[in-house]
Amino acid sequence: MSHFTNPLEYVGQPARRVDALEKVTGRAKYIADYKVPGMLHARCLRSTLPHARIVRLDPTPALQVPGVRAVITSDDFVNHGLYGFPVKDKYMLAWQKVRYVGEPIAAVAADSPQAALAGAQAIVCELEPLPALFDPERALDPDAPQVGPDRSDGRHPNLKSDHMLVCKGNAEAELADCPIVLDRRYFTDWQEHAYIEPEGVLAMPTPEGGIVVYAPNQSPFINQGNLAMTLGLPPNLVRVIQPTVGGSFGGKDDIIYESSAQAAKLALITGRPVRMVFSREESLIASYKRDAMHMRIRLGADPDGTLRACWFRGILDSGAYASETPFTAWRASIHAMGAYRYRACDVDVYCVYTNNGYAGAFRGFGNPEVCFAVEQTVDELADLLGMDPIDLRLKNCLRLGDETAHGQVLNESVGLVECLTTARRLSDWDRKRAEYSRQNGAEKRRGIGVAAMYHGMSLGAEGADNASGTISILPDYSVDLTSGLTDYGTGSRTVYTLIAAEELGVRPERIRIQRPDTNTAIDSGPTVASRTTVVGGNAMRAAARNLRHTLDLAAADLLKCDPQQLIRVGESYIGPDEEAVSWEKIVDHAREMGLILSAHGKWSAPKIEWDHHHGRGTPYMAYVYGAQIAEVEVDMRTGNVQVLHLWAVHDIGKTIFPQGAYGQLYGGITQGLGYALTEQINYRDGYIQETNFESYLIPTSVDVPEITGQFVEAPYSYGPYGAKNIAEPSLVPTAPAVANAIAHATGRRIRELPMNLERVLLGHDLQPAGSKKPVEAGLAIAPR
Amino acid sequence: MPRFDYARAVSIDEAVALLSDPHCVSRPLAGGTDLLVQTRHGPPAFQRLVDVSRVPEMRTIERRGDEIHIGAAVTYTEIIDSELLRETATCLVEAAQLVGGPAIANAGTLGGNVANAAACADGIPPLVCLDAVAHLVSREGRRDLLVSEVVTGPHQNALKPGELITHFTFPALPVGARSVFLKLGRRNAQAIARLNVAAAGRVSPEGRIDFARLTPGSATPRAVRLTQIETMLIGCTPSRELFEEAGAEAARAMIAVTGRRWSTEYKEIALHGLVARALRHVFNLELER
Amino acid sequence: MVIEFKVNGKQVSVDAPPDITLLDLLRDYLNLTGSKEGCAVGECGACAVIMDGRLMNSCLVLAPQAAGSEIITIEGIHAPDGGPSDLQQNFIDYGAVQCGICIPGMIMAGEALLMRHAQPTRAEIRNALAGNLCRCTGYQQIVDAIEATAKGRQKAI
Repeated sequence: MSHFTNPLEYVGQPARRVDALEKVTGRAKYIADYKVPGMLHARCLRSTLPHARIVRLDPTPALQVPGVRAVITSDDFVNHGLYGFPVKDKYMLAWQKVRYVGEPIAAVAADSPQAALAGAQAIVCELEPLPALFDPERALDPDAPQVGPDRSDGRHPNLKSDHMLVCKGNAEAELADCPIVLDRRYFTDWQEHAYIEPEGVLAMPTPEGGIVVYAPNQSPFINQGNLAMTLGLPPNLVRVIQPTVGGSFGGKDDIIYESSAQAAKLALITGRPVRMVFSREESLIASYKRDAMHMRIRLGADPDGTLRACWFRGILDSGAYASETPFTAWRASIHAMGAYRYRACDVDVYCVYTNNGYAGAFRGFGNPEVCFAVEQTVDELADLLGMDPIDLRLKNCLRLGDETAHGQVLNESVGLVECLTTARRLSDWDRKRAEYSRQNGAEKRRGIGVAAMYHGMSLGAEGADNASGTISILPDYSVDLTSGLTDYGTGSRTVYTLIAAEELGVRPERIRIQRPDTNTAIDSGPTVASRTTVVGGNAMRAAARNLRHTLDLAAADLLKCDPQQLIRVGESYIGPDEEAVSWEKIVDHAREMGLILSAHGKWSAPKIEWDHHHGRGTPYMAYVYGAQIAEVEVDMRTGNVQVLHLWAVHDIGKTIFPQGAYGQLYGGITQGLGYALTEQINYRDGYIQETNFESYLIPTSVDVPEITGQFVEAPYSYGPYGAKNIAEPSLVPTAPAVANAIAHATGRRIRELPMNLERVLLGHDLQPAGSKKPVEAGLAIAPR
Repeated sequence: MPRFDYARAVSIDEAVALLSDPHCVSRPLAGGTDLLVQTRHGPPAFQRLVDVSRVPEMRTIERRGDEIHIGAAVTYTEIIDSELLRETATCLVEAAQLVGGPAIANAGTLGGNVANAAACADGIPPLVCLDAVAHLVSREGRRDLLVSEVVTGPHQNALKPGELITHFTFPALPVGARSVFLKLGRRNAQAIARLNVAAAGRVSPEGRIDFARLTPGSATPRAVRLTQIETMLIGCTPSRELFEEAGAEAARAMIAVTGRRWSTEYKEIALHGLVARALRHVFNLELER
Repeated sequence: MVIEFKVNGKQVSVDAPPDITLLDLLRDYLNLTGSKEGCAVGECGACAVIMDGRLMNSCLVLAPQAAGSEIITIEGIHAPDGGPSDLQQNFIDYGAVQCGICIPGMIMAGEALLMRHAQPTRAEIRNALAGNLCRCTGYQQIVDAIEATAKGRQKAI
């Protein structure tokens, strides 16, 4: 039965998010809402210097503070609590050195938050400042302060990752031969996830000497693994459960693993539940962010607009620890040239250590940074040639059957052309482009700009890519699902419910998907990289299909026919005698037959091949494509930019949960608008100046325009019902679309993010020189 | 141990008594939108907060003859909803609308805004533009100060310990005069003002400016009326060029006070534009904000 | 000190320190955890409640200021039969909910708006939500839900 030809009953139809009711009533519980008897409150002592040696650390005075029950340092963990992937360079509590302001040094558990704070403040901690490094472009200088650990290959210790390469042909020679070459530099700033729920964890010791940790992490199994390793416990004594999560966007991994380990150790020592909840200031200061990136691109073309060569260099300022940024650098390298054909390509992206906080995963994961650079450069080329920016992209963009700059032939599911042409039509592009080009107002000017994108699906060359799900029928005929992948607001629980409903042939209301729990789910790798719908969805589909097979056998037995003769009408089974039998009866019969009413499904992504050394191969199984168009009004007297409207058309293969998909689209765009215009992080001598939401500015409801979104469905044969994804792609092209619109309005290219008032008005940012606000890393916040 | 105590006053006399208690350093609390945020950054400089948000005499909005009277505990929402203020003090109403979202507007007060004396305050430029007087009361008695004199510097005010702002008064603008408030922030709501401007003015039947007020905010440590520019405008015919000149003068006036700071390169251009725009609005040369 | 007020129609009397916020009072003393702390400085609106008919950031209200007041929290918003109210149901039906942490505050802001303004335009709805930050939804479906509720209530009249 081909899923492309039969009408789908649940997938792609309007549906309600399965956990919406508890959220609209306030009954949903997030970590800070959990209260258990005997619960202690935990708090960290955090570094107030960006780079220092821990000369003396005496936690015992904390125990003299009334109400304090335990205090821990790195000595309380196996191997000092060393952990990290792909690079093991971080400690659950700092050991010997601190490398960023906010790094946790010790943790205290006490009867009240006030006592925990007092306990943390009583700890004797002497830090000897070390020379600090803040400029990533200086990180590999021979005399740069050493931030990173010594490398076994003898290369500079501040080099955090390998060089990530993409090579095709000879880019230098090709560029030398191009009549037109644009050589441009770009800078994208750090970005904070700013989930409205700050970090928190709850750890409870078990009678067996193990631990249960409630943590809003994206990847409970990674947390479990880290806990087992650093606490010295066997994995089956470590249980991690994900409660309702108040937003993550990539940001609730490492910081949550550390908080989990800290709370867990305190719980094991005290024998009591321990909860740690961050204040917003602590979250902004201590948690990891999107890297800042310094880029240089040289784009070569012919006068007719044919792109011929792309040379790209990028340095990620990834701060004090590796976290995921080696992978960010890789994804950035793959996408740096944009969704275009080239004769030659030379990309080299790497990340370095500095003492500016630290960087990790954030929605888009390297692509928003490079897309800002390449999409502005391509746009500038169009201007130079007097070509329409959409026409230039249509001339060069990837189409079905094309070979990418990496050497991958795109055999299916390439909807970029349709995205561009649809966005063009929806936005009335041609008329506005002409009209705004003619204006010359002194006060306000309008512009319209476009950006195209592509985004590789799932992990690509980052590692093994598979997922598992389970499905079972309970005594009350309800259906129970588990998945190794999680939902932190993204809607995957609903997606899996719809897929299971479709495959099993039952109403979604019959299905309940369990909370992610390492005791009941099967490890499916991290919930990242927009892999949830495809990899997790396929696994869920496989599980449901396996169970369906079992029920079909039971129905065939009951109705005395072959399984192929069965027809489904609603939930009922109908055999050759045309009598409808209820689903419940089929389930009963299956039980009587002794069949097992549960199933497990696993799906592995198609193998990809990536040659790191030569920068060639098939980096991802497939790509999501998209085009966004922004219409802006620029206040020429103040540099204020109003985004009047935004059109977004993305090829997502197949829409499974429409409301959820549009929600992800609008949400990603909104984060992209913040990235573009208002979200700025100033690390001054390693101290973040933006410590709460009055200074870290995310878009409000009156900063976001009405968005016209549309999905193009160019089905991907490996995706469930043809689906790809939208979670990350939605954020990627927004900033360059806005930048290109500003350039159209003002004639000025802004090559740094965010495009704040000063950059739009003056062409450069302004910063106070010399003065800095050394923040006390959340410790100065009065207890509540 | 609580960090501070709380007492609620139901009259001005009671508030003054509580605020002047020599055994308990006390500060007035109304909406808490500044005070409670400040308590997060360190031990409080007071032992008790005296809640004046419900003192009836501090919550009225009324016209007494030619004078408008606004209680210091009147909220921004009440200012926005007041037909009297919408008619007589547009610049104040517009500032109230731009201070923050609805919850902030429901809590925040002019008294709190003035006492907090932030350089970027939105309530202060309109009050200064309107020549508002702050009425203070303490155990020693009453005194009146121009709002521009209450604010002595960024986060510095002329209030004595135990002194309370009870209300503000300002003369009604001349018949036919208009006022406006423009705010420039880094985003459209819940934003600290990068710059703001309150302006008022009137054109005589002969088509000449016979009344002008101009008060930029977030440009200098304290907001003041730019009286030299106001005088320059009097007697002139409204024109784009005239207001551009006023804008340029405003930027020069700002630099005369602040010198060239790190932000001046931006502010001198933006202030010029904002002032010119505000004057065009006040004198009806355009409707576009 | 003893603080007496009405919450969700019920009279309560709480003995709590004078220096905590209304938000802490609701969450820690009354176990009404539906109102959330997102920033504690009045920027995000996740703590929003309706106090004496007005939307307020409970993180900026000192607990004793609530004495004598009538407060509605998200726990007090429901249909007469205890199920979701029309506004809550529209939030579900229009896809306005993702991670959900901002939603109680958004619903309070929506209710507070509709108390003052029965037929708001989309722009007016956005203005009414300007003090409620959402990082997931981009606001659009939340505006849809509130708009639909306003229209639904007009039809019901």
